Amino acid sequence: MSKPEFVYATYIETSAEKLWQALTDGDFTERYWFGHRVTSDWKVGSPYKFAKQGAGTVEGKVLMSDPPKRLVYTWDPCSPEAKRERTSRVTFDLEPRGKVIKLTVTHDNLDEGGKTLRDISGGWPMVIASLKSLLETGHALPADLPSCAAKEKAHG
Amino acid sequence: MAKPEFVYVTYIETTPEKLWDALTSSEFSERYWWGTKVLSNWTVGSPFALEWRGQVTDTGVIVEADPPRLLSYTWSNASEEFRNERPSRVTFVLEPYGKLVKLTLTHEDFEPGSKMLEGISKGWPAIMSSLKSMLESGQALDVPLTALKIEGVE
Repeated sequence: MSKPEFVYATYIETSAEKLWQALTDGDFTERYWFGHRVTSDWKVGSPYKFAKQGAGTVEGKVLMSDPPKRLVYTWDPCSPEAKRERTSRVTFDLEPRGKVIKLTVTHDNLDEGGKTLRDISGGWPMVIASLKSLLETGHALPADLPSCAAKEKAHG
Repeated sequence: MAKPEFVYVTYIETTPEKLWDALTSSEFSERYWWGTKVLSNWTVGSPFALEWRGQVTDTGVIVEADPPRLLSYTWSNASEEFRNERPSRVTFVLEPYGKLVKLTLTHEDFEPGSKMLEGISKGWPAIMSSLKSMLESGQALDVPLTALKIEGVE
């Protein structure tokens, strides 16, 4: 049986360099990633960390960094429930397509039926939609989108 | 085994009404869908067709239409290559999220190993990306169709 993986492709009118910066610069991620700020020196083997209002949310290690084409890191959410799951992996592929960049996010090595799989399957479409909006229009999607979505889910 | 289907979710800063228009108006679809016109009167049981460069490329029937919330149609490709495949089904669900609309596209009812599924899995992300750009910035994307590397599409 195939292991669960999540693949999401989108096309963004931007340059590969700007998109790389958006993925790796904390000031940038804070704007479209609903307040989550990333920190790392992005060298292979270095740690990275996402934090929201100072509290760690996700951390991991840089596995590959080939600007502005490919970024790979491990993914360890800082919640006790997710800590019991295996460490998953995120790959960003940036490919020019005419004047547009194709961005493919692949999240693999996930636990079948786990919390991480559930969270990231809902999360990536929001994060990537917000990133695309920010790069194309200059403003990200509203910061309360994830909490609205969580409420919908609870009621639905 | 997982059902052969394609699901794509995105969030667009627009209204359900505008998004519905974009999905059902051929003037709109031509802009974000490489010149493809969506043709139908959008009532349940009515025919649906996609027209590209003056040729009907795909046909189907409207299965559900509940503006501006739900649209579903069957989809058969008219080309020789896909003649043996049964009709698949496309469903758009539009849900308001504050100032946004969550759009969920499901394309399903494929046979295992479907070539059609392979093609649409490459096509939809580009079409949905272009649709989002058009509604948010006023300008659709200019993704070269050939760059998608869909078999049979030159």
